[in-house]
Order: sequence, then structure tokens, then C-alpha cells
Amino acid sequence: MTRATFPGGVHPPETKWTAETDIRPLPLPPRLVVPMAQNLGAPAVPTVERGQAVARGEPIGKPDGFISAAVHAPSSGTVTGIERVIDAATGRTTAAVVIETDGKDRPHASLPQEPRPWQSLDGDAIRQAVADAGVVGMGGATFPTHVKLTPPKGKAIDTVLANGAECEPYLTCDYRVMLAEADKIVTGLRLCMRATGAARGIVGIEDNKPRAVEAMRRAVAGADDLDVRVFPTKYPQGAEKQLILACLGREVPTGGLPADAGVVVQNVQTACAIAEACVRGQPLIERVLTVSGDAARAPGNFRVRIGTPLAALLAEAQVQEGYEALILGGPMMGKAQFTADLAVTKGTSGLLVFRRAAVYEGGPCIRCGACVRHCPSWLNPSRLSILGESFLAGNLDAVDTAMEFGLMDCILCGACAYVCPSRRRMVHLIEMLRGERRKALERRRERERAQAAGIQREVEKVAD
Amino acid sequence: MVGHWPHLRGRDTTARIMWSVAAALAPAAVFAGYVFGCRAYLHIGLAVATAVGAEAVITYLRFHRRSRDGVKATWWRRSGMTIGDGSAVVTGLLVAFCLPAQARWFVPVVAAGVAIAIAKQAFGGLGCNIWNPALVGRAFVHVSFPTDMNPAAYPVLTGHHFLGNVGTAVGGMAGGADAVTGASPMAMAKSIATQGYADVDVLKVLTEGHGRGLWDMFVGTVGGDLGETSALLLLVGAAYLIYKGWIRWQVPLAYLGTVAAGALLLPLYLAGGEGGAESAAWQPILLAMPDAALRFVLWHLLGGGLMLGALYMATDMVTSPLTNKGLWIFGAGCGVLTILFRLYSHAYPEGVCYSILLMNTAVPLIDRWTRPRIFGHKR
Repeated sequence: MTRATFPGGVHPPETKWTAETDIRPLPLPPRLVVPMAQNLGAPAVPTVERGQAVARGEPIGKPDGFISAAVHAPSSGTVTGIERVIDAATGRTTAAVVIETDGKDRPHASLPQEPRPWQSLDGDAIRQAVADAGVVGMGGATFPTHVKLTPPKGKAIDTVLANGAECEPYLTCDYRVMLAEADKIVTGLRLCMRATGAARGIVGIEDNKPRAVEAMRRAVAGADDLDVRVFPTKYPQGAEKQLILACLGREVPTGGLPADAGVVVQNVQTACAIAEACVRGQPLIERVLTVSGDAARAPGNFRVRIGTPLAALLAEAQVQEGYEALILGGPMMGKAQFTADLAVTKGTSGLLVFRRAAVYEGGPCIRCGACVRHCPSWLNPSRLSILGESFLAGNLDAVDTAMEFGLMDCILCGACAYVCPSRRRMVHLIEMLRGERRKALERRRERERAQAAGIQREVEKVAD
Repeated sequence: MVGHWPHLRGRDTTARIMWSVAAALAPAAVFAGYVFGCRAYLHIGLAVATAVGAEAVITYLRFHRRSRDGVKATWWRRSGMTIGDGSAVVTGLLVAFCLPAQARWFVPVVAAGVAIAIAKQAFGGLGCNIWNPALVGRAFVHVSFPTDMNPAAYPVLTGHHFLGNVGTAVGGMAGGADAVTGASPMAMAKSIATQGYADVDVLKVLTEGHGRGLWDMFVGTVGGDLGETSALLLLVGAAYLIYKGWIRWQVPLAYLGTVAAGALLLPLYLAGGEGGAESAAWQPILLAMPDAALRFVLWHLLGGGLMLGALYMATDMVTSPLTNKGLWIFGAGCGVLTILFRLYSHAYPEGVCYSILLMNTAVPLIDRWTRPRIFGHKR
């Protein structure tokens, strides 16, 4: 049993109350709100009109460019409109196709009836099937999967990691999927290996999920090129770069992708979706997520259609009125929401409701060094947060100084803020500095463009 | 209400840490009264009260908000006073711990006032100070009221005759403050270092001990400053804090280790003190009487403010480095300076205070040297 891990990290209380709760399918809601922005990169473009009848699995949004993903109708019904809704992940607004379901769940004619053997597919066919199915990373990052399965030129991929770490407290959906669909995960892993030319596939799981380890070990039994690795339970073990380091002892270079370390990482649910897409031609229209938190009387793991309003989930989990905090994702990196008027997207791994909101008032840094010791990216979060405050106080050079301290190497996991005895808003300040960095770069580009245009005008004047 | 992630936070808070440090210091504070009498409590009370009072006044002036600003806040929150976090209490306790019992009553007041007002708040308050506030306070009164600060101001023994009174100092100590006569152990250790080792009586102390000398120094029934005498109680408190991770073990280990190594080996190479002390005398002691050498080392470890300094002053989070490697360097630096002060400074039998203050000054530099390699970066 491999017990390797990464230096740093924290161990918050696991509170996985729903670990022994079976996945329950949620009844089809009468109304589905399917946002077009469900992936990192460009949002999809709606291809349906108001009043149009749609069938389950019918494309309703086409990808806008390469780094984008298709969106499909999660069930059959009628499009009642295309609305602007809030994208829970970014807080910006996005177009959403609203479907009134007819309860028949009629499949679209283009969906294949017969499963095809995955062995018959080559790399391009896999990528095409995955792109057609609109698969994105379901761990929360929502990076379009077909892009991930396209290795950059000159970079050889030798290993595919299926990420079953699920290091966020409360969340148990990946765990339940590993118990229920181990074979499908292995098929997805095989397909990824085939698409990227990797010779090795590894499933990574934290040691607080022995039954998942057992299930996955059974599923890979007899295969020489597949392996299940067990890691100590530690947040953020499931972060891509930390998982690669723990698994293979390789560091993804700064500014690089896992491909630069010869690795592709896929969440276990994404692996399932890849298998569904390639074997049965099913688009990504549903996922498993965890509803939990102390305001939920019946927390559980639910299989829900994309676009399901959160209200349906809250009702199913018997959430009491008067809760203060609603978080999409896990408690460490999930985003707090100010309204429940949102819909499930492909990246929604959890819905947490708490009676009391966790709002902390930060104090000054007392230089205890806890953040430095626990940072999984080996940064000095204390310094970065102080630079953030310095920027807010008017020191505009703080952004450049922060760059020297690895501003862009932060993975925003929040381990520093978790351990901080002064309750400082580390991640917030670091994010703010990053935003300022982006703005500064844009301003510089703008200035250069203006300068170039000015020179051009002078040249033309002289020519005249 | 919406907060930024992470929505979970650990259990440690600044206040929890500071009050725990205060609690860890409490046994030594109580014991000070047993050794030095009620005057010890007077000093501790005055120092803590001054520290908390100064902190309250200054933070009120700096942060108080007159209006409610639409924020639901209690009077206490609007006052902006930060005495609830316990850091002022810790500073007050530490200030009192490094003052001698016979000092006049205003000495702890001045020391604690300087510690909070100048060393801490003038630099920006909690977390912003460069030097350990308690030590700055002590250094201030040390140069301002030297006669109050010198334990040797008590009926003192000069030259080579001090051994005659060691018995009084050690034996009578348990009887209370009135019985305090004689140099503190540090003054004696200093004499041993500077007067050479030829003295038969000194050798006798080293080889046989004197009464329960080392044991008394360990338990704390000896002369010295208020809180520094009992290595035992300081260690017990520190063990708890180390267990909780609130003081980093690297610092005391590096500090005490360096002092021990220095006490053992430095006299071999560097002759110290007036009257041409002979380093040559140390070599035969080291070779022929290892237990005498061990006593000398223990004497240094247990004597003076070293335990207090190594466990509670050098480990102050604000004024020590951030990284583990930095903590090792910092602790070792304190140790080297302390043993040099102790063995070779002419005027000053004790070096802990100034060693730590000097190393505090070097902390930004140490932090710069020991910056960790960032994930994915080459060295």
C-alpha cells in the first residue's frame, strides 16, 4: 500500500455524514434551467428557440471554439425561453435554456441504441465522442475533457490518473460512484489511456475510503497496467498537482499543465461520463452530487439531471427554512451563494446548507508560520496576504512583489486560511491580487497597442 | 450572509494561543511568590496591569469608532480595544518575569509601558513589532535603572570568596525573600568562566556540586529574576505549548543545544576575562572530569534567563522566522550570542535578553534566506 503524499496540507474534520447513503435518483423536476456556461472557456451558444420541442440528449448548445463544450437537453419537453441566469461558479450572468419537462423522458433519435465495444475506438474517435457528449471535468474545474485528452504536441503522456481522492469534507458523491460504478470508471480510464497513448492508469483514493479502494481493486484485478493507490487523508490531496506529486513524485512545472509532467488527471465521475459517451453514446446530462450540511435533515447523494433547480434538491434533502449559508461545492473551495435560485451544472459536486454562515473577522498576521508549513504549493501565504492588504492601502507595486512570491503558483485551496489563527482572508486577498495582475497585463497590452498605432500614424504622416 | 471560501476554519485562534501562553506561564508566576515573597506578585500585577492598560488606551485611540456605521456592534467591538486577545497579558507577564524582586515598584510599570507603547504599538501593534516587546521593556529599564536590575545589588560576594556564601544562597532560599543573599547562579558561572578554573573551590563546586545546587536551579529555589528561576515549571508549560504546536520546538532545541555546546567547547579555544584567565585549565577538566564539565554545562542551561528566554521569548511568533529552517538558524544564532555574552562580556553576566533582541533584528534577513522553494519552481 503506497502511503506517499505531498508536503503540506491540512486535515479538517471529515464530516462525511452521507458516506453510507446510497445514490438516489431525484424525480424529474417540472422545469430545467440549463446554463450555457458550464465549462471553463467559452460558453456554449444556444441552438434551440422558444417553443421548440426537445428530446433527452438533444444538443441545445453548440461549443463556441475549441475550449468549449456542447450542452444537451437533460430531458424531453418544451423550451419555454432563453433566460439570463447567474452562473454560480463565476457570479456572472449567462444564457440558459429553460425546458418544461413532459415527464416522458423521450430519448433523442440520434442516441445509439446498442452499446459499442470501447476497444473498437481509436484516439480521434474517443475525442470526438467525448466532445459530442459535452463532457467536462466534473470535480469542479469543468475543463472541457476532449481538450484534456488532446496531448499538446511534443508532450508524451505516460500515465492517466483517475482522481477518487475526494478530499473535501462533507462530499461523498465520488465515493458512492466508486462503489456503484467501479467497472465504468475503469472503462473510462482505459479510454483516456487509449486517447492519450498512456501506458499506465492509476486510481488515486484517500485512505478514509477503504471500501472504495476495495471496489476499485476488484475492478482493476488482473490488469498489469492499472493500479489503485491509497493516500493519507489530507486536504488538498485531490488537487491535480498535489495528486501527481503524491502518485508519481513528479512536479508540474510552474505555469505548466499536468501534461508537462506526462500525466492526465480525470475525476472518477468524469471517467464514468467518458465511458458513457464512448460506449453508449450518452451525452453528459446528469451527475451525482452530495447534499449535506447541518440544515439538511435528510442529507444524501443524489443522481440529478443537469439544470435541476436547487430548490428541488433542498426539498428532497428536507432543508429547513432559515439556513444562513448555501455553498455549491465542498466547504473548503465551494462558492457561497446569495440565492437558491440556481441550477445544477456539470461541475456541481455538492450542495451544502448550514444554519450559521461562516463569516470570519480577520486580525493582523501574528507570523505564526502555520500557513507556510501547511501550504501545498510551498508558498508564503502570510506574505501574499500582507501584500494584498498593502495593495488595498495604495501600494500598487505590491502586485509585482507578489509575483516574486509565487502569486500565480497558488492553487487557491484555502489551507492557509483554514489554519490561520488570526482568521485572515488569505484566499480572498490572493485572488484579488491575481485579478489586479490580470488588469495590469491588459492595461500594458492596451498601452502597447496604442503606442504601435501612434507609431503607425507617424509613419503614415511622414510617408504623406 | 456570504463569506469567501474556505468556509471551514481550524480551531486555533490568536486569543486561544495567547491565553494558553499566559496559562503556561502561570505556574512559574505562582512559584515566584513562593521564592521571592509577595513582592513578586506586586511586580507581576503592576506589569500586567500596565501592559493591559497601555494596550487598551492605545488601541482605543487607534481604532475606536464613534458611530455604529450601520454595523451591529457592541460597545466593546466599537471601542477597537484588542486586550481580549491576551497578547498584552503575555507581554506583562514576561516583563515581570525578567525583573528582580527587589526592584523599586515603578520599574515594572516603566518596563511594561515601554514594552507595549513603544516596542509594540508604535510599530503597528500585534504582529508588526520587530523586537520582542517584553525584552525591549527589560532592556530599557536595564539601562535606566541599573541598580534595580542587578541581582548582585543584594549583599554580594566578590572575587573568589563567593563560594562561602553559596550555601546561604542555596540553603536559605526556600525560606523566602528575606533569605536571599548571594549572587545569582549566572554571576557565579560568569566568575568561573572569567576567573579561570584553577581555583580549587570552584573545581569543588563543579565536581561535587554544592549542596543541592543544580537541583535547586532546576526546581527554581535560587536567586535571579522573578520568573526565570524554575526551569522545571517553565519546561512543563512549554511542553504543553509545544504539544499544541504553538511554540516551535526547533527554537529552544537549537538555542539550548548551541549554548550547551558553546559552554563545553568554547573555553578550550578562547580565554576569557580579566586577569589572564587560562583556557588551558579547561582542557584537563574536560578530559579528566567529564562530570564537572557536565555540571558546568547544566549550570549554564539552568542558570539565568536562558530557559525563560529559549522557551518563551525566542519562540515569540511575531519576532521569530516563519520557516522551520529559519527557526533553526534563529535559535542557533541566539545560542551563539548568549554564550559569547556569558563567557566573554566584561560588564554583563547575562546575555539572553540582548542575544534575542539582536536575532530579532536579523529575522527579515533569515526569512529571506530560507524562503521555501515554490512548487514547480527550480531552486
